[in-house]
Amino acid sequence: MIQLYLDPGSGSFLIQLLIAAVAGMSIAIGANWSKIKRLLGKKKKETETSDEDADEKHPDA
Amino acid sequence: MPTKNTPTLNASFRDPSGFLFRRDGVLYRQVNQIYAEDYTLLMDSGLYAKLVKAGLLIPHTESGDGQAFLPADTTMAFRTLRPERVAFISYPYEWSFGQLKDAALATLSIQKRALKLGMSLKDASAYNIQFHNGKPILIDTLSFEAYKEGEPWVAYRQFCQHFLVPLALMAYRDIRLSQLLRVYIDGVPLDLASALLPMRTHWNLGLATHIHLHASAQKRYSDVSVSEARGGRRMSKEALLGLIESLQATVRKMVWKPAGTEWADYYAANNYTDAAFEHKKVLVGEWLSKIEAKTVWDLGANSGIFSRVAVETGAYVVSSDIDPAAVEVNYRLVKEQKEQNLLPLVLDLTNPSPAIGWNNLERDSFLQRGPVDATLALALVHHLAISNNVPLSRVAEFFSNCGEWLIVEFIPKSDSQVQKLLRSRADIFKDYTQAGFEKAFGQWYTIKESSAVRDSERWLYLMHRK
Repeated sequence: MIQLYLDPGSGSFLIQLLIAAVAGMSIAIGANWSKIKRLLGKKKKETETSDEDADEKHPDA
Repeated sequence: MPTKNTPTLNASFRDPSGFLFRRDGVLYRQVNQIYAEDYTLLMDSGLYAKLVKAGLLIPHTESGDGQAFLPADTTMAFRTLRPERVAFISYPYEWSFGQLKDAALATLSIQKRALKLGMSLKDASAYNIQFHNGKPILIDTLSFEAYKEGEPWVAYRQFCQHFLVPLALMAYRDIRLSQLLRVYIDGVPLDLASALLPMRTHWNLGLATHIHLHASAQKRYSDVSVSEARGGRRMSKEALLGLIESLQATVRKMVWKPAGTEWADYYAANNYTDAAFEHKKVLVGEWLSKIEAKTVWDLGANSGIFSRVAVETGAYVVSSDIDPAAVEVNYRLVKEQKEQNLLPLVLDLTNPSPAIGWNNLERDSFLQRGPVDATLALALVHHLAISNNVPLSRVAEFFSNCGEWLIVEFIPKSDSQVQKLLRSRADIFKDYTQAGFEKAFGQWYTIKESSAVRDSERWLYLMHRK
């Protein structure tokens, strides 16, 4: 059990977890964008960015 | 806990990890046994050395003359530290926008470095940051705890309330809202901020989540315990670093400048030179050197030109003004010129910072943080006497409470600056004459030197408190 002398606030903890989940999800979606589109039945166009290109993108960008 | 007879500092009681106390005029920090593990980790992980090197954490020693310092309360003591002395303790409601912003960024930078070395800030209070040698620095050595994988940031709410919210209110609503920090000692409540901020802040992703959504979540989960709200969910270290980076980006993006002006105008307005001005500089410099003032309060300092004259004579100067824009310019100069002995502060002299907090003792009033060797009151008295109706003898009394020596300027009614103040009101100030001024100040001071200021109707005085 961690000793907390500051009340972190339930809402404040929850919002951090939410931000983490959304951020995590958007990274996951970004990385698998082509797969998702294939799954949804969209055909890959020749000009579209490939998985490799998406990986090159810096997470901070 | 510290007992009735332990000389604990009044601001040092919330955190059981330790406390500050004063002995023989020296400030010490006792580390309690309960905090032994975290303190050891801070020192052994290299975090302490790294932060001190970066100028982000106050350095301390554990012993002097080969002897460990004596604790104030031996029953619970683990270590006793002697932190480096901070010249003047200031509070967030006295900081300009840029000062609060830099203090916020310093806190986040500390948290990032801590996480990389397996620790985390367990609080993010703006009161733990002080300006030391011109830069924001963490003064609470006991603010760190071992980082536990999966845990969100305990101090997230406090960071938002102490830093993000006041900055957003200042940048997006009104610069004067920094004064809410004086009312709310643990930071501005999120729901209040959410109600006060303009609609457009909902379109700023950082402010929308860290303030607006955060406020709603707080309201919705006010009756739910932390563990219930979490429901066993974990926050990865990457996600936690992402949160800190998001806060950094949100803070960095916030800017403030006074409406209808450019910073350059402020700089230019403060760079005028004429014979009178130069003569004033010479007199102030000479007199301060003569009395060998080590500490100076420059009251109504504008952007700090005469404060810099005082610094040149070897003094540490607190340079205060009521105008947040003038103080901002002053602070920018401190940064640009890497000045270490000048602290700009926002202060309304007609209502200086009171003592606030628990028992009215937690944060000192402005006067309690004195006295200083010398007070500068240049082009100031007419504002207090005419705009604020303070009788001259009471103006003198206030200055005498600030310190022993006073350098004060008298500007007669015929001067255009005074005429400007009288234009909009009846002249009820029959005692506002040079003779009346000398008589009123004579009740509190002995006049040691006086000189007419060249090419003007103004007079400068050096006075010593009776």
